[in-house]
Amino acid sequence: MKIVGVYSIKGGVGKTATAVNLAYLSAVAGRRTLIWDLDPQGAASYYFRVKPRVKGGGRALLSGRRELDDAIKGTDFERLDLLPADFSYRNLDLMLDAGKKPERQLERLLRPLRQDYDLLFLDCPPSISLASENIFRAADALLVPLVPSTLSARTLTQLTAFLDSDRVRRAPRVLPFFSMVDEERPLHGDTMARLAERHPELLRTVVPLAPEVERMGLHRMPLPAYAPAHRAADAYRDLWSELEAAVA
Amino acid sequence: MSPEPMDFQLPQGGDIEAVLERIRATLSCEVEPEATWRRRYLDSFDWLLYGVGAALEEQVAGTGQEPGQGQSRRLLWIDLAVDSADEAQVLDAEPGFADDLPPGALRERLAPVLGVRRLLPMAEVNTRAIRVRVLNDDAKTVARIHLEDNRLSDPVSPARLSARLRLLPVRGYLDEFAATARLLQEIARPVAEPGVLVLEALAAAGRRPGDYSSKLDYRLDPAQRADAATRFILLGLLDTIETNIDGTRRNLDSEFLHDLRVAVRRTRSALGQIKGVFHDAAVAHFKAEFAWVQQVTGPVRDLDVYLLDFPNLRACLPEGLRADLDALRDWLSAHYDDEQQRLVQALASPRFTTLLHDWRVFLEGPLQQAAPDGAALPIKALADQRIWRMFKRVRGEGRAIDAQSPAEELHELRKSCKKLRYLMEFFQSLYPDKSMRRLIKQTKVLLDNLGRFQDLAVQAEHLRETAERMRADNAADVGTLLAMGGLVSHMLEGQQRARREFADTFAQFDTKDNCKLFRRLFLDSSGEQARHQNRHSAGAESDAADAVHGAGQ
Repeated sequence: MKIVGVYSIKGGVGKTATAVNLAYLSAVAGRRTLIWDLDPQGAASYYFRVKPRVKGGGRALLSGRRELDDAIKGTDFERLDLLPADFSYRNLDLMLDAGKKPERQLERLLRPLRQDYDLLFLDCPPSISLASENIFRAADALLVPLVPSTLSARTLTQLTAFLDSDRVRRAPRVLPFFSMVDEERPLHGDTMARLAERHPELLRTVVPLAPEVERMGLHRMPLPAYAPAHRAADAYRDLWSELEAAVA
Repeated sequence: MSPEPMDFQLPQGGDIEAVLERIRATLSCEVEPEATWRRRYLDSFDWLLYGVGAALEEQVAGTGQEPGQGQSRRLLWIDLAVDSADEAQVLDAEPGFADDLPPGALRERLAPVLGVRRLLPMAEVNTRAIRVRVLNDDAKTVARIHLEDNRLSDPVSPARLSARLRLLPVRGYLDEFAATARLLQEIARPVAEPGVLVLEALAAAGRRPGDYSSKLDYRLDPAQRADAATRFILLGLLDTIETNIDGTRRNLDSEFLHDLRVAVRRTRSALGQIKGVFHDAAVAHFKAEFAWVQQVTGPVRDLDVYLLDFPNLRACLPEGLRADLDALRDWLSAHYDDEQQRLVQALASPRFTTLLHDWRVFLEGPLQQAAPDGAALPIKALADQRIWRMFKRVRGEGRAIDAQSPAEELHELRKSCKKLRYLMEFFQSLYPDKSMRRLIKQTKVLLDNLGRFQDLAVQAEHLRETAERMRADNAADVGTLLAMGGLVSHMLEGQQRARREFADTFAQFDTKDNCKLFRRLFLDSSGEQARHQNRHSAGAESDAADAVHGAGQ
């Protein structure tokens, strides 16, 4: 099982849409896929019509009182399962800190699932925290959505600096890509050109800013499932191809 | 843990429309667009896949999304014991030989089982599938129902196979699964095993898996009259000949002709070796006619052997000479069509049709009143006598061969050895199975050695003649002729190796233990039988057995 964290220090960059759409495309491609909604807001769970609730909350999962396995829910799509969010995840840092080797709790928890799935997507809450450290430790790759602005360029620099630091022993591969790109705004184009020069690891796919993506909340399903011909769906398919090649 | 899927049997008639209506009325659900596809079940003519507990299912997409992800044609390896598909392979053309399939796990698995045989369709099924998603209040899928209607693809009577209903769980929705299962039980009856679709389809299509094998498997009654038992054996061989005509004519694969020729050879051997059961005059004509069949089917078989073995022939030359052989392969392939044409004409000729017809009439006709002496013997007594004699002949001829013996003596031994093998195979069921298998196996080892010795010499000679013809046709340049010379020398070396190995191979056949076993099975037992019959019965049969016993000494 390969683990992909969809991660950003900053919120509102299209992180959940990315995790949901890529998990769906992975299942369609024949991979047994799991998506874990770690964000207490539970947006990914909502998109898949699953109640954002885990019996006993995050604490029950971390303490082993409740098996991760039992909390998994099948989605509307074959080969695609979801571990729902829980409101208690807002205190994830506190819960993680309570156990031994706090930065390796998530890795330990995921071990029994390795046989069941080919690919796991972690929809991570925005921040750099103990929870993020756990994600860095467990993940093989981090998909990082970047809205083309100076501020988000800074967050990428912050992230790579953090991953290069001594705190992180085994850093995942960082795969940044441009998200929510407004083709009408010249500033976006300029920033992208500048950033591409500085970050050769940037993926080629550019996901456009499109109202159709926002409608995922109305349809409550992945974009390629209800609007497969939309250009944003094309972009997600391209992104999936790049990701598939990177984690193969 | 998720529960196992549940299978249901649909009510008599199995109309999935009616069931779907009831599901719609009972459950909150969403019915997905229906999909249709065609399933073809494939196996070799002699059921090699079935023999290893497997079947191949070729799926060709029709309308809708199934099967696979937008693949228009794929092949699945089905394990019959668990009725599930292990290996899948996307195809772009109808499958034929294993070597023609795209590389992958399925081909790896199939190739050693299928060998040189072609995959043939055994039954074809049209499938209509409807997928139903059972929903909760959030319109979230909490269980799945798969409905399937299967019909035999037969333009005259598309027999309806059992309709299938399967309930599948969605992970994490145990209660909903149980509730759906309860509701479905009002519509249909749960069954533990839904039945293997491929077997159902084969039965409906009138195909019986394993109904053809080129192996001899006669169950004989030791006390049966020799002429009746011999007719039974010959009728079996005639069936094999007739069964293989169509595949030979259409040249589906090389084994049809091969099996046909082996059955003809066995027929001739039986006529020659099971002596004294028919009047010579009655079968002389048939013997001559079957010799003709053997002769007219020979050229294509020779080319088959060449072409099947071509990759090996090529590989035994040094790398630099291999490309020069391409002209030989092209020449052989070009002549193949002419020879095949001639073969097809021979098989369609009145001479051949009349032969098979008359032969069947003879074999199925009433037993002759004024039959020769051997006809009324119990078959066991005759078999004892014939096998023991032939064994003694093989032993004698083999022992007489030394390092200086001419090739003809080895050829003669090979002929005797083949007769011995066929006799043992015809009469295998009359003797203890384990001992017979041991003796037949040992005889085959000896035959292999003798076969290599002779076949390589014949092939080398054939290749020389081919080289001359190619030169005359201007079809071979110097490079090709040199490469063929290389092959000839390789063949003759192999022949010499076989000659050197003969002494050891024969010694392994001519062991004390082996001779003892031959004696015990075919000489001592017939003696006992004769004594037994002398004690307990009188009349023609025991007299005849005595006579045979005497003759066998």
